[in-house]
Amino acid sequence: MDTKDKNPEINTPGVMFNDAPNLSADPLLMDQSDSAVAATISEVAERKPGQKSPTPFQDSMRRLLRDKRAVVSMGVIAFFVLLAIIGPPIYQHIGAPYNSATNGVVPASVYHNPFHQELERQDEFISSQYWLGTDSLGRDLLARLMQGLLISISVAVLVEVIDITLGILIGVLAGYYGGWIDQFLARFTDIMFAFPGLLFVILLTGIFGTWADDHLSAIPIIGPNGNARLLLVSAALAFTAWPLMARYVRGQTLQLKEQQFVEAARTAGTSGPRIILRHIIPNLFSIVVVVATLDMANTIVGEAGISLLGLGVQPPGSSIGLMISDAANMIDTHPWEVLLPSIVLALIVLSFSFLGDGLRDAFDPHSKD
Amino acid sequence: MIQFLIKRMVGLVFVVIGVTFITFIMGYFAPGDPIRNLLGQHFDPRLYVQLKHAYGLDLPWYQQYYNFLVRLLHFDFGLSFAQQDRSVWDILKGGAPISIELGMWALLIQILIGVPLGIISALKASTWIDTLNMGVALFFYAIPVFVLCVFVQVVLVWLDQHTGGSWPVSGWGNPWQYSWSDIQYKLAPILVFTVGGMAYIARLARTSMLEVLRQDYVRTARAKGLIERVVIYRHALRNAMIPLVTILGVAIGFLVTGSFFIEQIFNIPGIAQITITSVNSRDYPVIQATTVMLAVAVVIGNLISDLLYTVVDPRIKL
Repeated sequence: MDTKDKNPEINTPGVMFNDAPNLSADPLLMDQSDSAVAATISEVAERKPGQKSPTPFQDSMRRLLRDKRAVVSMGVIAFFVLLAIIGPPIYQHIGAPYNSATNGVVPASVYHNPFHQELERQDEFISSQYWLGTDSLGRDLLARLMQGLLISISVAVLVEVIDITLGILIGVLAGYYGGWIDQFLARFTDIMFAFPGLLFVILLTGIFGTWADDHLSAIPIIGPNGNARLLLVSAALAFTAWPLMARYVRGQTLQLKEQQFVEAARTAGTSGPRIILRHIIPNLFSIVVVVATLDMANTIVGEAGISLLGLGVQPPGSSIGLMISDAANMIDTHPWEVLLPSIVLALIVLSFSFLGDGLRDAFDPHSKD
Repeated sequence: MIQFLIKRMVGLVFVVIGVTFITFIMGYFAPGDPIRNLLGQHFDPRLYVQLKHAYGLDLPWYQQYYNFLVRLLHFDFGLSFAQQDRSVWDILKGGAPISIELGMWALLIQILIGVPLGIISALKASTWIDTLNMGVALFFYAIPVFVLCVFVQVVLVWLDQHTGGSWPVSGWGNPWQYSWSDIQYKLAPILVFTVGGMAYIARLARTSMLEVLRQDYVRTARAKGLIERVVIYRHALRNAMIPLVTILGVAIGFLVTGSFFIEQIFNIPGIAQITITSVNSRDYPVIQATTVMLAVAVVIGNLISDLLYTVVDPRIKL
């Protein structure tokens, strides 16, 4: 969750999609005859005979692809994801062995490693050996940046998985059955909303951070290199994010419950769980995608912020937030070192926000003024 | 109205209890023994028992929670773990005025600039002015506050090196005093603190104004031949202001989160920085106190918003 977890658009749960007739219908499962009804008259007139009419989902995708800002954002996100995943193995194979005074002859796979320090090569600017320069400990900035991006993306994915699972589960049950689970959701959301922004995450990581360092670093891959606290950070971020998701899902479920196709299913004797699985959950697709995309921006900022405050990834690990705080006192002599991670973070976050906005407009064309 | 107030107060009490309980239980289950940390490696077992009793840590959890709540009601946050003999309140006392000063200025400027920006955007909807305004607002709304801090600091360093004006890159000067050197300290953090919330307010004001301009009574006002200025200032603007009173709660939430980064990066000795320091020294009572205080601030902000709403909009009967 970001510093900006109170989005103006997503601040009033349930309102956003209320006037969205095409969402209350079934955008994914609708069969051909239904979607033909949904298509506007002008579209019908344009269509050649025999040509299939687009489903509402295809319609939304076409609207999304027409949104230049959203398309560019998708490109930026794809670039950074690729960089984080396939960048390091490629980068570690590029470059000649380097004869270091302190470490002897080191191959590219060593000096292009995010944790390797080359103490005689501190604070360098861009060169053919270090593509984006080095930091104050002589570590490769590009390697550290790619590692940091990997951390950002992993945390974002982990948080969204928990967020979506919990949000749909609790939200649908609260919306469909009401009762105590609805009451629980309402009260719990009130409490979590009272923790402004990252305060809860700071509290949790602050108190249990050293415990995580001691006990979680044995876990392979996500444990070592100072990443042990990431599980804690992800759990805390997900814990603060899911009530909002659940509220949207609940609002949408309440609407869907009153739709004729659900009523028809109920009349035909379909059981509650089956209605939820077959008719409600598939129709939550668009709202979940929009809220999750906007929340990804929050999550990435959240992780970077927590690491920047010294509560997330620990040295020698790398995170975009840690890179910013590492270089913060070099700002007067080597501003590049702090500008690089800041600009990258700004780009990612803006991209996710723009993409989220674009998706919302695409799924719900009535939401625009 | 009375009924609504009672309902809200009950809800408020519930939220405060929830927040304090989560805060308390995390401190209770916190790893490590704070008393043992306090005493160091070699200690007198009798002293250990005495201290444990003095901090009330030998009681069962519900008793501890009850004491915690009772003390909170008296604005007594207990004793610090890390700095012996100092009460938590004593530690926070120095930071509070600074954080309040920072937040107050930011809130004031946010409203004074954000609202007019949004209104202008709405009046010039779909022109380049609107596009520019909202583009800038979206940028500042989405960009993380600590990234902005970095950009501003780079500019400050440049100013310092090239103008010889000796611009301080971090620090806060004297609280609530405004000599030139104090202003030099305070200008940049307040500016950074302002823009995120300002963008949010501008977007909200624009939406609200557009909504009002579509209403029938605005059309009626135009139809009966009123000049545009009267239509906008008398009829539209007043009504567009109504939803804006609800921003207070959200704005306070913004300010609380932002303060952690701004105080940390600009090295301002406010409440947020004290919290981070306490986190690093595992001083749980201080962390608990700030968490509760900040959360209650947000809850009260929301309550005030609700009450203002009924004041400015007589149609709403609660």
